[in-house]
Amino acid sequence: MMQGPSYTRDRCVTGVHGLDEILRGGIPYGSTVLAAGTCGSGKTTLGMEFLVHGASTGEACAHFTATEPSVKLLENIRQYPFFDMNMVDGGLINVFDMDVLYSWLGLEKATFDLDDVHALIKSITDIVNTIGVTRLVIDSVTTLCYKIKSEQLIRDFLFTLGKKLATLGCTTILISEITSATENAHWSSFGVEEAICDGIIVMGDVERMGHLLRFLQVVKMRGTPHSRAKYTLELTPLGVMLTPMLKWGSTVDKTQGWGS
Amino acid sequence: MIELDQRIAEQLTEVSLNSSIQVRCGTSNAFMVTASVLVPLLHSFEMGGVYISASRGATEMIEALEGLGLSTENIHFIDLVSSGFLGGTEVPHDNISFVDSPIMLESVLLRTLFHMRTTTNERNFVFLDSVNALAIYNESRMLAEYLHTFINTFRQRDVLTVILNVPDQTPPGVLANLDLYCTDMVDRGQVVIN
Repeated sequence: MMQGPSYTRDRCVTGVHGLDEILRGGIPYGSTVLAAGTCGSGKTTLGMEFLVHGASTGEACAHFTATEPSVKLLENIRQYPFFDMNMVDGGLINVFDMDVLYSWLGLEKATFDLDDVHALIKSITDIVNTIGVTRLVIDSVTTLCYKIKSEQLIRDFLFTLGKKLATLGCTTILISEITSATENAHWSSFGVEEAICDGIIVMGDVERMGHLLRFLQVVKMRGTPHSRAKYTLELTPLGVMLTPMLKWGSTVDKTQGWGS
Repeated sequence: MIELDQRIAEQLTEVSLNSSIQVRCGTSNAFMVTASVLVPLLHSFEMGGVYISASRGATEMIEALEGLGLSTENIHFIDLVSSGFLGGTEVPHDNISFVDSPIMLESVLLRTLFHMRTTTNERNFVFLDSVNALAIYNESRMLAEYLHTFINTFRQRDVLTVILNVPDQTPPGVLANLDLYCTDMVDRGQVVIN
């Protein structure tokens, strides 16, 4: 029997314990991945570990922080032994405050219009292009999109940004804050991010007899086969670690009362 | 001073690193059987490892083992008991980590894997004390599924797995599955009272 030529896309190895196995090798290069999660689910740690792995192999990485000042972010993340502050000092991991970027662009206003959105895309892609960034994290895209009032404009912003970053060979994780990771929930705050991104990783909590277990689930990833099972996530000094969630222990969600 | 069961040490010479041993004991000889397994692993085979303490707090276990003259510096303890009461985690030992509850089974597996990634020991064991303690909190199907994953995870990594259980306090379905998954058995479940 004749077989067609096999082709697999090159992968951006995340370095996150278990995630590359789930993704059968890593995120396809140039993808824009939405990491949507509830508070405390490990999104920022996952994003930073993704950058640290890139920096450890000499890649230039960037982190745009919109939810907390960069100083606070670094103070929190440097407690993890996997994080090396020399990567920041040496310019391999470049951390940018979105508030500072807004200030540079004269975007210190409550809402953004089309021109503002395009100015923002241009400044982000200029930074990526100038530094030669191959791994980017925006934490969080939800905070950023709160300033964009129309769904159409949010869609345009994310689509254009993702396209330009892919052209530059940059693999991007867009962190999104969601209030619930239950079966009926959207994977994004505005309902448009999930349609535009190449991949969706959902992170949340499963309640088991009064205790919260963190989970991670890859819902979608274009360009690679992948597991769609739920994995228990643990934050360790080495970073995120994953193991398949027990099938008999993953059915109770925190929105459902135990025994209801 | 308790007298160790030397036949257990002899039996352990026949197992390989990727073995999984079901150790059956009674309620009255659990510590003697535990010590009789640990002493040859640490002394004769120069192994290190992780001790998952679900039956009693790790501090109590460390003190009991040190009372036998056994050094616990090559063992990392994962304590599933002491977080259950306030102040239980304030301990003088730095080779203990705590998991909030025995129902967080996957966390126990990940903590153990974490210590296996960071250890410098060449040969390692993981000692689960005990199945019947986990059965207090976990439903039988979930516990059977967990033991299946647990044993296979460590066998694949050439880590010797020791699973302690008191048969008459272990759900029959779980016990039947242990018989299936484990490669070896040390049976001291029948206690002879002189």
